[in-house]
Amino acid sequence: MDGDSSTTDASQLGITGEYMAGSHFVLAQAQDGDEGLNDHEDGDGSKDNLREQDIYLPIANVARIMKNAIPQTGKIAKDAKECVQECVSEFISFITSEPLKLYLQKFREAMKGEKGISTVTVTEGMGEELTDETFTNPLPAGIITADGQQQNVMVYTTSYQQIPGVQQLQFS
Amino acid sequence: MSGKNMEEKVEQATDRKNISLPMSRVRLIMKSSPDVSCINQDALFLTTKATELFVQHLALSSYKNGSGKETNTLSYSDLANAAEESETFQFLTDILPKKILAREYLKSLEEMEKVDDNL
Repeated sequence: MDGDSSTTDASQLGITGEYMAGSHFVLAQAQDGDEGLNDHEDGDGSKDNLREQDIYLPIANVARIMKNAIPQTGKIAKDAKECVQECVSEFISFITSEPLKLYLQKFREAMKGEKGISTVTVTEGMGEELTDETFTNPLPAGIITADGQQQNVMVYTTSYQQIPGVQQLQFS
Repeated sequence: MSGKNMEEKVEQATDRKNISLPMSRVRLIMKSSPDVSCINQDALFLTTKATELFVQHLALSSYKNGSGKETNTLSYSDLANAAEESETFQFLTDILPKKILAREYLKSLEEMEKVDDNL
């Protein structure tokens, strides 16, 4: 298996086992019985090895952004560019997993409710100063109304709320 | 006053609708987190944009705090220092360890052993 290479990469990224569960992809084949609403991955069944270029963003782009950020005359060491590349991947994983935890928590609470008359909001975990403590407006995905029609409605709410008459919940 | 500031910010935001990072790659990295099934397109765009801003922020802070004045170069140690000193970048401390020369480490090891022996 390529578990070894991915583990090595994971340790380079400083991502603990919590983030990367020892496998390349987490296929949405309902390995967790709880989330019955996982859609199938859209053609991402590729079990190819994750090459180094797959887990990092291209260094040229990263270097360009860095160059534009610092004063004109500045230079950037090569190992600095490489390590920012790794930091970036770490950052993405970090902000993906944090709001996800909140969402799953709310989702589970919602599913405990009766007859599914609840909406679950997907929050964007974007804080101002790169902390994950503040959140912007949460957005529910799609809702199915009482007459069975699905409407992909983006409703901006400020808190988790229950909407009567909504029977089921789907995600676009 | 704050209204005008908001206007400027909105202008800046709309001017910078362009992103320099490939969204497909960002999506790949997001999917490597467990339990992620599908990703909202807006969330993907936001993440990509936020990543861009993160790079700028990291580069600039490290440069300013580090040896920018003298060598005019952003080096690895500048980044490691930023990770350690700034609260914002604390989550990077694991992947940005400070580098130490092997011989210095061995020397400090020896000294620690000496202290143990003396006790």
